[in-house]
Amino acid sequence: MPTAPPPAARPRRLGEHGLAWAFLLPSVVVLVLFVAYPLGRTLYLSAHANDLFGAPSRYVGWKHYADLLASAEFRDTLLTTALFVLFTVVPGVLGALALVLLLENRIRGVRLLRSAFALPFAFSVASASVVFSVFYNPASGVLNGLLSRLHLGPVGWLTDSRYALLSVAAATVWMNLGYNVLVLSAGIGSIPDEITEAARLDGASGLRLARSVTVPLLGPSLFFLVVVSTVNALQSFGQIHVLTRGGPDGATRTLVYSVYQKAFAYGSSDFGTASAQAVVLLVVVLACTALQFGVLERKVHYA
Amino acid sequence: MKKSARALAALLVSGLALTACSSGGSGSGGSGSDAAAPAASALDQASGVTTVEFWHSMTGKNAEALTALVDAFNAAHRGKIEVKPVFQGSYDDLVAKYKASVQQKATPALVQVYDIGTRFMIDSGQTVPAQAFADRDGYPLDDLQPNIRNYYSVGGRLASMPFNSSVPLLYLNTDAFAEAGLDPAKPPATLAELGDLARKLTKKDGSGQTVRYGFGAAVYGWFVEELLAESGSLYCDADNGRTGKASKVAFDSAKGAEIVQWWADLVKGGYAANTGWQTTDAQAAFKAGTVAMHLESTGVLRGYTEAAKFTVGTAPFPRTAAGDQGGPVIGGASLWISGPGHSAAQQRAAWELEKFLTAPDQQAAWHTGTGYFPVNTKALDVAADQQWVAKYPQFKTAIDQMAATKPTPATAGCLLGVMPQARKGVETAVEQTVSGAKSAQQALADAAKELQPAIDAYNSAVG
Repeated sequence: MPTAPPPAARPRRLGEHGLAWAFLLPSVVVLVLFVAYPLGRTLYLSAHANDLFGAPSRYVGWKHYADLLASAEFRDTLLTTALFVLFTVVPGVLGALALVLLLENRIRGVRLLRSAFALPFAFSVASASVVFSVFYNPASGVLNGLLSRLHLGPVGWLTDSRYALLSVAAATVWMNLGYNVLVLSAGIGSIPDEITEAARLDGASGLRLARSVTVPLLGPSLFFLVVVSTVNALQSFGQIHVLTRGGPDGATRTLVYSVYQKAFAYGSSDFGTASAQAVVLLVVVLACTALQFGVLERKVHYA
Repeated sequence: MKKSARALAALLVSGLALTACSSGGSGSGGSGSDAAAPAASALDQASGVTTVEFWHSMTGKNAEALTALVDAFNAAHRGKIEVKPVFQGSYDDLVAKYKASVQQKATPALVQVYDIGTRFMIDSGQTVPAQAFADRDGYPLDDLQPNIRNYYSVGGRLASMPFNSSVPLLYLNTDAFAEAGLDPAKPPATLAELGDLARKLTKKDGSGQTVRYGFGAAVYGWFVEELLAESGSLYCDADNGRTGKASKVAFDSAKGAEIVQWWADLVKGGYAANTGWQTTDAQAAFKAGTVAMHLESTGVLRGYTEAAKFTVGTAPFPRTAAGDQGGPVIGGASLWISGPGHSAAQQRAAWELEKFLTAPDQQAAWHTGTGYFPVNTKALDVAADQQWVAKYPQFKTAIDQMAATKPTPATAGCLLGVMPQARKGVETAVEQTVSGAKSAQQALADAAKELQPAIDAYNSAVG
């Protein structure tokens, strides 16, 4: 074998490469078809005006982007999007963390509780949203029913522009809770027992144990959750569509929902503006993720 | 005429609708009435079964009633015509899909489009006006209810065939009236009277909780459109887009502000329930008895009488003031026949279905099965229809109201390419006024301003 002539090595390497490409091909095809092409098409559409049917009609360059920058409505949309991320990611991650830490206590029925808290994961966004619309219903809703028992006035959960975003965010937090609990439970499960035991032998328990040992060791899981929840929040659509349609008075019109409205809702087929907004959304998602990797990840302790 | 004659000749020879015909429909910017309809012989000469794909947005009971009618049509034309109804989601969803189908040159032969999509459908250049078929056949359109015909006509020519029409009504909880010592036989006729009665009908319990609101309606722009029409005001320029292409909206008038402010004041005063944009939520509130007076279309009447534990009363849609000379605008949807890309036989088959669906017997079946207002006046003479009206005497209000409404530009309603967005803008204005963010005048002015670029872009795209 060592005397094998060098030329034979070339075809072998080519064959190896060929095999690698063959294995990669399916995912490359999928990526090109469902990521690269739509992205390119979005960029193309964002630089074109539309005819009546939404087909690109003429090149307008940066016009759609310039219009967005000048639009007060779009600034509102960005602010709403930022608030929605804040109202869903922070309580979603902290709430799941609190639950998971409480579940570490060896109480009866803890397995049942763990399953119960993970259950929202099993609901689709659409069906969970319909259930929440029943809770929030202004006339016959469960929440206003409870409030009236307490002789408190009805709240326009989804019809009052002051509360609508909070209500949609609360529903979203619940929907994400199951996934967050699952991820953090797995994270806690992977913390080596000897570390926790050593800490316990040193007398740490309860909050002290959580603050100094469990939470720092959960760092990678928490970081993962923050990144994923942020991207999820930026892409939330179903609950807004079912509960508020972006209203009232645009109070729940996030970036994704605005894209939908411009492209498809109310007989509109302004794919140019919608595509420009979609590009802005892409930039926002990239920026958020880059920021999180740049700032948060440094503080994450990988055990 | 020359162009249409030539196109017609081509159709007859080839039996195919040439896509070139679309230039006749869209270029003029008029009603598209110069698009030609093929002769009846096209269908007779067609070999085999002519299939008609029919896109619609009907759900539940309405879908069942539609399927039954289409099945009856197919049975009567077995071996010759087969209509395939395809549900395409909400009216908005359907229009979005229809636009995609135009881009892909794969439009359905027949499509049901909501009232506010009428201008868009005319401008699309994809359709052959119902009037063209009627003219060619000498088919009389006089049995169509005049106000319904008025809505779907431009320059006196019928653009599409009305099918499911709704008429707005004022609904009353007569038990609440009796409890408050009021006579439901004397319903409020104006907004001022409605406001006064709403105050009297609002009921609070011992702890100050409102257990019944005097008034409640969905934040639905249609109701504002209706009230403007009642007052005889226009919603957009060019006589509501009837004498030319509308270039701006007119709802930001003193009358518009008066209407929106009236609504918002009732909500802010605690006399009207704000159940938001969902019409089903507003309907649920009325059925549950937590709202005493309520605006809705005739389409929900049957559901109300079946579900409500009180006697449901109806009254004519309110006027904005005693001297109002207008009347309500009809809502609902109409049927459009596709020209480009469809054979002459297909177009004729679609027209046959339109005539069938709007004939007295079918409209009577449709009316009694769904609650939509019959588009054919003769349907009200059909025995089955008269029995239905006897069973739901509240419907008489709608019949009388329609008969009393004179077809004018105001009661025809506004034809605007971006009408769905205009309606949405008014809804946002109502929400802003209710929340106190803006005065009604300011909110409507802002809505009109925000809408202007969309109107300009639409009109320049149509050319």
